[in-house]
Amino acid sequence: MNILDIRNLSIKLLTSTTPILAVDRVSLAMKEGEVRGLVGESGSGKSLLAQAIVGVLDDKWQVDADRFHWRGIDLMRLSVDERKKVISKDVAMIFQEPMACLDPTTTIGAQLEEAVDDEQLTGYFWQRKQQRKLAAANLLHKVGIKHHEVCTKSYPHQLTEALCQRVMIAMALAKRPILLIADEPTAAMESTNQNQIFRLLASLNQLKNMSILLISHDLENVTHWTNTITVMYSGQFVEAGTTQHIFNKPYHPYTRALVDSSPKANMQIPMKSRLMTLPGSIPILQHLPIGCRLGPRCPKAQKACVQAPKVKNYHGHQVSCHYSLKGSY
Amino acid sequence: MTSLLQVSNLSKSYKLNGFWFNRKSIPALEPLSFDIQAYKTLAIVGETASGKSTLAKLLVGAEKPTTGNIKLNGQMLQHGNFKQRCQHIRMIFQDSGTTLNPSLTIQQLLDEPLRLNTDLTELERNKLIQETLQKVGLLGEHMSFYPHMFSGGQKQRISLARAIILKPQVIILDEALAALDPSLRSQMINLLLDLQQQMGLAYILISHNLGIVRHFSDKMMVLCKGRVLEVGDTQQLLKNPQHKYTKKLIMNQHFKLPNN
Repeated sequence: MNILDIRNLSIKLLTSTTPILAVDRVSLAMKEGEVRGLVGESGSGKSLLAQAIVGVLDDKWQVDADRFHWRGIDLMRLSVDERKKVISKDVAMIFQEPMACLDPTTTIGAQLEEAVDDEQLTGYFWQRKQQRKLAAANLLHKVGIKHHEVCTKSYPHQLTEALCQRVMIAMALAKRPILLIADEPTAAMESTNQNQIFRLLASLNQLKNMSILLISHDLENVTHWTNTITVMYSGQFVEAGTTQHIFNKPYHPYTRALVDSSPKANMQIPMKSRLMTLPGSIPILQHLPIGCRLGPRCPKAQKACVQAPKVKNYHGHQVSCHYSLKGSY
Repeated sequence: MTSLLQVSNLSKSYKLNGFWFNRKSIPALEPLSFDIQAYKTLAIVGETASGKSTLAKLLVGAEKPTTGNIKLNGQMLQHGNFKQRCQHIRMIFQDSGTTLNPSLTIQQLLDEPLRLNTDLTELERNKLIQETLQKVGLLGEHMSFYPHMFSGGQKQRISLARAIILKPQVIILDEALAALDPSLRSQMINLLLDLQQQMGLAYILISHNLGIVRHFSDKMMVLCKGRVLEVGDTQQLLKNPQHKYTKKLIMNQHFKLPNN
């Protein structure tokens, strides 16, 4: 069963003149225990989508969806408070730049204890403080920090970035979430640290059957860790399917270009040869092209591309393009 | 063939000021030697605190080396003689957004190195700026724009323009490709490779993305804690790493070369 089922979600930015459609009819479905990658270049609206799922967008943004279900509950019908109750119980989010997200004036231990839910504690009120401490230490053990005494006493600036990210993950785990949304958890990190974080997330997925939505701007980074991938471009849905399909047989010209432009995936091309790439860069919100937003950069664009294409489904591999590359394999 | 840049026995250690017997020195970079030829790229790979950035700083002359010397075309580069060094060795930084002065137009930004290092008249300088902007794939009209009007990829092109405007021989890319989106990154790689062919540049690429290193560089050097672990031809080294640390780096990135 799908725990998260989003169909045709649109996010509008309300301005004084005309509203801007930042995310245009994106669909996303997540099964239980799945690791899904959400890939797109910066400015493609992937963080907005994540924020819309958690429901932390403010009044400037208007969210519409044909279907927006969380484990069978229609979130669009709930009031803000009810929704917050449902989501905060089951969904947790970790952000990029963990150093910036932690409170620099409080110790790690105090911040972790704050995250521990009251419902998990038992006994009389004088026992609670001790229990909270124990829970915080346990959380740190869970994310692979062995010496919790040192860690709880230190401030965020005294820890390395990878450790801070582990603390963030520990905080997210405090509520025992079903879905963890990781918004570029390893941005600006060294490759060894990146791997530690990804391995931790993978083990949490395996041991606790926690679903993970892994957001990244780089396709080649996430391919090793995900089961399925959704690709977005400039706020539009591009392609979704299993990782193998997306990486080996992409149907959309944009995904094809992403795979071709990664030097890691193309080991067979000669050294110092030109890499395949799309001309230009991602359009800014004020000047979005009509129809398929990839149009001006797409090598396969034709007249029909001024109309946004419908999503086609080939055995679970969804693609949104008039001229998909399906026939070329 | 003589080498363009020759580095011998270069090292750097930082002194901690303590009381008399308590003075310590921390070695950031242990003595190393290498040389680069024109049209070639040397990649430097390593984790944080491995001394990659210290090496870059020593090469551009931002820090004074403790021992060793740097020779360019057989000529010794003195520390402090920036006139000589700025012309020939240039550097591009990781975050192009913060390295461009937001209160200057692109013309003023690019004019500065020309005014300080050459005797060209204003007309000649303007012409050179336009030519350089076209070379990196921007337009001459972009001269009167401010940095905030450009996207991330274009900003990186401007820093590249600033680096090549003095017709240098060596360019140091300190993680210059790490913060870019994949499609912009490959555009930038193509541009850098074209410029290398046109101008005979030598690059020193500091990166931790082994995919780019494989594609881009001829030789590579693995640094760990200020020590050189391995130097060699990129293909050979990646195919057949000798040191445990290099193997770990390659494993970490799930990096596999085709067996042929």
